[in-house]
Amino acid sequence: MLEFRLVQGSLLKKVLESIKDLVNDANFDCSATGFSLQAMDSSHVALVALLLRAEGFEHYRCDRSISMGMNLNNMSKMLKCAGNDDIITIKADDGSDTVTFMFESPTQDKISDFEMKLMDIDSEHLGIPDAEYHAIVRMPSVEFARICKDLSSIGDTVVISVTKEGVKFSTRGDIGSANIVCRQNTTVDKPEEATVIEMNEPVSLTFALRYMNSFTKATPLSNTVTISLSSDLPVVVEYKIAEMGYVRFYLAPKIEEDEDETKPQA
Amino acid sequence: MAEIETLGILQDIESLVADQLQVVSYKWLSRSYLIPSDTAKRLLQEFVEKHESGLQVVYALSGWLKNDPPSYHIRLVSGSKLPEAKQDFDGTCSIQVYSVQASIPKDPAALWNAEFVQAEELFKQPFTVDNCLRDNRFCGISNSYVKRSTDEIPASVAAPQPKTAVDGESTKKKTTCQNTTVPQPHKSEMQKVSPYVGLQSPTVVKEVKSESNHTEPFHQASKPIAAKEKIASLPASKKKAQSDKTSSSTGGSLANLWGRVPAKSKLGDNHADANHATAANPTVSSAEAQICAHEALQVDNSDDDDQHVNIKRSSNESGRKRRVVFDFSDDEDFEDAVSLASPENPKDQSCLDLKQNKELHKEKANSEDQLNGKLKIKEEKMSEFQQSSVEEKLHDSSAETNELSADEDDSNKIKKPTDAAPASPKRRKVLRTRTDERGREVNEVVWEGEEQKQKKDDVSSTKTSDHKAAETTTNRPPAAKKSPALGNSGAYPAVKSGGKKAGNAAGPKQGNILSFFKRV
Repeated sequence: MLEFRLVQGSLLKKVLESIKDLVNDANFDCSATGFSLQAMDSSHVALVALLLRAEGFEHYRCDRSISMGMNLNNMSKMLKCAGNDDIITIKADDGSDTVTFMFESPTQDKISDFEMKLMDIDSEHLGIPDAEYHAIVRMPSVEFARICKDLSSIGDTVVISVTKEGVKFSTRGDIGSANIVCRQNTTVDKPEEATVIEMNEPVSLTFALRYMNSFTKATPLSNTVTISLSSDLPVVVEYKIAEMGYVRFYLAPKIEEDEDETKPQA
Repeated sequence: MAEIETLGILQDIESLVADQLQVVSYKWLSRSYLIPSDTAKRLLQEFVEKHESGLQVVYALSGWLKNDPPSYHIRLVSGSKLPEAKQDFDGTCSIQVYSVQASIPKDPAALWNAEFVQAEELFKQPFTVDNCLRDNRFCGISNSYVKRSTDEIPASVAAPQPKTAVDGESTKKKTTCQNTTVPQPHKSEMQKVSPYVGLQSPTVVKEVKSESNHTEPFHQASKPIAAKEKIASLPASKKKAQSDKTSSSTGGSLANLWGRVPAKSKLGDNHADANHATAANPTVSSAEAQICAHEALQVDNSDDDDQHVNIKRSSNESGRKRRVVFDFSDDEDFEDAVSLASPENPKDQSCLDLKQNKELHKEKANSEDQLNGKLKIKEEKMSEFQQSSVEEKLHDSSAETNELSADEDDSNKIKKPTDAAPASPKRRKVLRTRTDERGREVNEVVWEGEEQKQKKDDVSSTKTSDHKAAETTTNRPPAAKKSPALGNSGAYPAVKSGGKKAGNAAGPKQGNILSFFKRV
């Protein structure tokens, strides 16, 4: 038996919107400590890690850890039926192959029940080691989304370089090239508008803009985004979910390839 | 059995069931502790009596059913349903503990998953190792007429017994796969096979074996080359081509006999990948193992050729998702190409490929030497198979220019054997998988240039690597077969330069997240 009651129901809607384009089916792992998800996209290039801690829910009950396989598109369809101010409750019985979403309107005069079929998904869980990143950039999420959108109209890949100067996003395409440099800027009125760069050593990595753009679907979840880069690791694009947890996107960089493996040396 | 030993096993069972949540079946127990299966059943019974609470028992009931006409029935039932199930049987039935586990698994396949993986591993052991599955030592039923010896390999297995280490691995695994699908019938297979061996004297079998090693891969690999050289239509090479042909036709009957061996071993190799995964992650990929087993069965039973199997595979594996396959033959649009190599260790893969190709080539060269003695020994010394193939060409054709034009002709004229996608050696197939706006998985096959012209000479090598590439991604889009033809039909020099340009513009390749994070 599990039951989670989330007063800010729109949050769950936003979470689903942010990941459903990247991942089709995923297992939601429910344990006593919280509600989490880890899934790779179909081409195994990007990975989503979602955590909603138990403390963030008004009511959280999970008798034993279970993992519920859901089709994220279907789940999103159901959650779209919830109003933005609705309180969402997720319920599932032990051994049942369905999950119930209950939406209560703020005035309690409308209560809707949606039952969704679960599915068996054999997903692979990846161990993500804690790592020290060479550079961590925190910037307004809207700004990051804008940059990704703009650059994707020019090229397919973005080179993110972090130096002492700031963080540079550059791309190159058929029509030309573009560079966007964001300098560190902490002297703003609101802390969420600051751009903060913590750099241990300069990094420059290349990524597919298609994925980056898909990550920025999580922009409504948070005012700021944290981009952590290391030369030998996937980039982490993290959106914090206030007081509850996070959505983290991992994206494997594009790698300079010296030789084709199948091709023998002359 | 000594009392102490029994106690030790019981403790082990307890920890397996309680801590590791493993399904402990009597088969598994018997194999892993090397005890007769009857003893294993009794041990489990004892264990169940001791720890009645906190575990679930699956019983195997066997007896005659009440319904008419009476039929002998073996049924697995959980402990709670035991009395109920007993009613279905007429009179008495035997009740034995099949397995103990912490909880009844949702998926019935999980019941035999552990023993399946175990059986697989046992079969994977080298033929020389005599394990309990091979000699059937724990079965209650034995046939004293069946003689087993570890050195003599059943004929079905002996067929592809290879010379090269690489092939050896793969064939072994292939047979593993075949056998594990039916772990029980294995013994009957042995029985079935032994008369067959008896028909021919062992030495004959051996001869066939070694010859098949030579001629068989050669037979496949040489055909296109022979054809090519014929088209080159130089008097010198004509003779050669003919002799090539004769050689392949001498091997004809044998090739018919053993004709599908490489196809199978390639497949087996692929299975091996799956098996590997299974072994590494038994609980997660049980389904995979089942699919693998299932396919192995299919391969075993069907008389289809390589191509057919391939298609089958792909259809099997792509079953779950909708796929759209786009076939691009232009070189521009491949920025996001996903690495085709295996995520764990691409280098290894390529090494394997290379090795295989080399071996293939060497064998080819060997047999050619034997058969027409025309080729210089030099060839054998060549470590690089490509160079050797070029050498070979140079021996036979008088001028390079001729060769070039011949090549162009080839690309247009030659109908390659059906078993593989005809490979354009200059260009490399890149399979891109992405999810489009509508959530479908899209596989795109694009061609990337390669500057090495010689590569095109070595049909077999590209064929193999193509195979490999497709296999490692585990979803080979059927439409991919068309694209090489497309590429070939173009004028060669133009294609070449185009490919080169694209190769330079390619820049970085998309990494795979699995090369950074390991599965847990």
